[in-house]
Amino acid sequence: MSSEMTASAESSTLSTAERLRVAGLHAPDDAPADAVLSIRDLNVRFNTENGVVHAVRGIDFDLRAGRTLGIVGESGSGKSVTSMAVMGLLPETAEISGSVRLNGKELLGLSDKAMCRHRGNDLAMVFQDPLSSLTPVYTVGNQIIEALTVHNPTMTKRAKEARAVELLALVGIPSPKDRFKAFPHEFSGGMRQRVMIAIAIANNPRVLIADEPTTALDVTIQAQVLEVLHTAQEETGAAVVMITHDLGVVAGMADDIMVMYAGKPVETGSVDDIYYNPRMPYTMGLLGAVPRVDIAEKTSLVPIEGIPPNLVHTPTGCSFAPRCPLASDSCLQGEPELWAVAGENLDGGMPHKAACIKTDSLGLEVDVHEIFRAPAVPVSRFDAIPREERRTVLELRDVKKHFPLLKGALLKRRIGTVKAVDGLSFDIREGECFSIVGESGCGKTTTLLEIMEFHKDQDGEVVIGGLSNKEASDARTKSAMRKELQMVFQDPTGALDPRFTVFEVLSEPLENAGMAKAQIRKRIMELMELVGLQPDHVNRFPNQFSGGQRQRIGIARALAVNPKLVVLDEPVSALDVSVQAGVINLLDKLRAELGLSYLMVAHDLSVVRHISNRVAVMYLGKIVEIGDVDAVFDNPRHPYTRALLSAIPVPDPALERTRERIILEGDLPSPLDAPAGCNFATRCPVFAALPPARQEKCLTLEPPLEPLPAPGPGGTPAPPTDQQFACFYPDGELDADALVVHETN
Amino acid sequence: MTNLNTIDLAAVADEAKIEDGDVVIAKSTIILRRFLRNKTAVAGLVIFLALTLFSFVGGFFSSWDKEAIDPFNIGMPPSAEHLLGTSQAGIDLYALTVEGTRISILIGLVVGLVSVLIAAVYGCTMAYFGGKADKVMLFILEALIMMPALLVVAVATSGGGNGLQETLPSWLLLIIVLLVFSWMGTARLIRSLSMSLMQRDFVKAAQYMGIPPRRIVWRHLVPNIGSLLVLDITRGVTGAILAEVAFSFIGIGIKVPDVSLGVLIGQATSQVATFPWMFWVPLTVMFLLTGSLAMMNDGLRDAFDPSSGSIGSAKKKKTSK
Repeated sequence: MSSEMTASAESSTLSTAERLRVAGLHAPDDAPADAVLSIRDLNVRFNTENGVVHAVRGIDFDLRAGRTLGIVGESGSGKSVTSMAVMGLLPETAEISGSVRLNGKELLGLSDKAMCRHRGNDLAMVFQDPLSSLTPVYTVGNQIIEALTVHNPTMTKRAKEARAVELLALVGIPSPKDRFKAFPHEFSGGMRQRVMIAIAIANNPRVLIADEPTTALDVTIQAQVLEVLHTAQEETGAAVVMITHDLGVVAGMADDIMVMYAGKPVETGSVDDIYYNPRMPYTMGLLGAVPRVDIAEKTSLVPIEGIPPNLVHTPTGCSFAPRCPLASDSCLQGEPELWAVAGENLDGGMPHKAACIKTDSLGLEVDVHEIFRAPAVPVSRFDAIPREERRTVLELRDVKKHFPLLKGALLKRRIGTVKAVDGLSFDIREGECFSIVGESGCGKTTTLLEIMEFHKDQDGEVVIGGLSNKEASDARTKSAMRKELQMVFQDPTGALDPRFTVFEVLSEPLENAGMAKAQIRKRIMELMELVGLQPDHVNRFPNQFSGGQRQRIGIARALAVNPKLVVLDEPVSALDVSVQAGVINLLDKLRAELGLSYLMVAHDLSVVRHISNRVAVMYLGKIVEIGDVDAVFDNPRHPYTRALLSAIPVPDPALERTRERIILEGDLPSPLDAPAGCNFATRCPVFAALPPARQEKCLTLEPPLEPLPAPGPGGTPAPPTDQQFACFYPDGELDADALVVHETN
Repeated sequence: MTNLNTIDLAAVADEAKIEDGDVVIAKSTIILRRFLRNKTAVAGLVIFLALTLFSFVGGFFSSWDKEAIDPFNIGMPPSAEHLLGTSQAGIDLYALTVEGTRISILIGLVVGLVSVLIAAVYGCTMAYFGGKADKVMLFILEALIMMPALLVVAVATSGGGNGLQETLPSWLLLIIVLLVFSWMGTARLIRSLSMSLMQRDFVKAAQYMGIPPRRIVWRHLVPNIGSLLVLDITRGVTGAILAEVAFSFIGIGIKVPDVSLGVLIGQATSQVATFPWMFWVPLTVMFLLTGSLAMMNDGLRDAFDPSSGSIGSAKKKKTSK
């Protein structure tokens, strides 16, 4: 093959084993006989304005039927490119070399037409974004049938329809016969992802590639979809390649893990090896960088500083060396290969290998926090003061936001009300971080917008640093308010004007506050230092920074006018795990040092647990549980909170395997037909298990948000907490159907 | 002040990498490179610049000017004395063409630039304020689109605008009339683009910082639709040149004694058979002018389009290895 020829020309620097392999001398019997997919020395190169980017640099793995391989890595590490190369979906400009064998048959070099026989048949893929991967103009039934028709031309129409309905039922779509004729827009995101899985498994594929299948979904939906993927694998016996950046997601799913960095696998092994005995500093850092939802103890996260190397230039040494705290001179002498790690291979999975010359010295006893020099946990001066004695910086009293739902072309008539935010009251004291969590559509962001809006005509009162929106909301009060309250946005790239240099970005709020030129310069230098950026980088444009650095600029801009309260809208959800840790540590530090208060909205409960002091759980515009973060997370009373917490995957395979998971039925109901009683009754596992006589109360009365009732005379006295929840039966039995426990081999 | 320099140490390392590894190429450099890679577009640019130069300095290469009548050469084909021949009135065609090209380019550039500028500010303002302001401004815009531009041009340049015609040269009058009727389409396009920009977080961030609307429009919205503006300027220039030619052709645009390419073509149409050079020379120049702009526009679009298939020059280096 010509591509292999060019590759062999470059291989003079490679080892003998690799040279043999590149020369095509590796026989199929090199791979285990039962491997469905075996990849040898896969290389992918792209041409860009900057030069040739070597995106994937030599991947080998064998995948046996029924096994799951998790590929983990930061964005840009080549995970998705690998999967695309296997599927033959890369653009023609990409240069691919190596070998990809499906059941012993070589796939690379096949024409597009020849690949079509495999794609969707024995090779199937589930994509990341379920919203855009279904055609909106065909019914979902049609789209499943299309997948069947292409590969089974002889199948009768009736058989295909029966199979499609069967598939829909398999992936857990309720009343599949009726939904068969529904269009994609009638499905929610989670349902569409189920349909995508149904299409992928329609022809009983041998290999199923799932590229970040749950990243775009809510946690509760993520739990459902992972469950479906699990069923799908059991049903078809396919080998699954699961690509993700979330170490929690793969912990419960995968048998083997491959950690990728800079286009190369840096550590491979069984899931237990990787999680409990990582030998490559990068893997160790990644594991330490993830906040845990199940641990209350406060430690700083492990930040991996720096950015992945630029793959235009071939790394001369270990690609991780520039970011590695353990790097020494010998690390720069040649790129380390994957070396086998001592220890027995128990379950016959992937042998544990790590690409680090110090593998043997990195045993179990090494503390990752020490290696990566994680900063000490910052202590705020407010921590010592009891909460009641601190000043209130933000107070919401019964804030409501109702949107009228109108219908009709000319004469609009109101057909209902969407209660996006429905009577919200809470307060934030000095120096504390208050988080709002909940599924998308629960009204978190609307709440933030209502606060930022600060308008007299709002329903309910917003008091920011003593300024109420009800009293004077003239321009002067507003600008005083803006000095108290600033915002950090979710997407650091979108929040910075691409045509502004950092200096301009930071000077804008200062100029607006009427500061003198010389003072602005001084303040900007201060700010740069405060958020950990090089002061002499002020003349750069945002696109010259990495995502984490951009978010730091966003934080610096918010801090420019010295606000008391910073609103954080999903501040780290757009960042990679390793970068996320650095930003979280920074936020923690700033809160302690500057005495800031945060109002954070996040869907990642692990981050919330790590950084917040208090938390409110929202469901359909209402707070269903509020209180101290440890109290709420360790002892959730509302069934919704319990479900949310159980849905979060934990990066701990052993725990993940035995953990009880509450799978909520269905999706967030449309706020239009909000029930008269408890909003959550439609999905509530406690409600489902109640006898009908007691269900009545949930359906007719709205549970108020109140603290735990005083214990009876015989009960143990409850510890004093400010935890409040809105449920009549907090101690009710859960419906057995909703509980799922994974007992894997 | 607090010091977080511990983080800096590592950050310094990767900063250095960004610099050395030329990971980041300024967007303008990328656009320039892509534009230069498109040979047609570069040819267009060269032709356009050459024509502009010609229209300004071309007059010095000939002893005739557009008013001098050569009584010995009336309606003569090209000769050594008159490079491009003469008109039936005995005026040197070369001098006329130079003058006409200059007027046409002038009209094109001014109308193209100014109308896009008006459109940008108008469209962005509409999008920023939304609601009532948007409705009123959109109504004005629609009303202007409905207005029959041809009639207004005819009235302004001939009958009705007598007072104006005495104070203003006819080309300036035409510029003003063309300007009034040329910005609406672009403004609507810009309005919709800005509306999507308004959803971007950096505009929200500016609002939450309390930046006044005027500054948000000028500093955040207008620069961010810059690439569209550049494209629209070249398109607008072509449009304006063609409009001038068309109006002058039917006799309502530029008036004699002012010359433009349109006037020259218009005058010569009736005598294509007898004085062919009088027709073909200005027509060729006009074609070169609009053609070069069209070629440029194509290259510019490719250069600005982030999804264009223009891959890096690395490909060539690679194959030669």
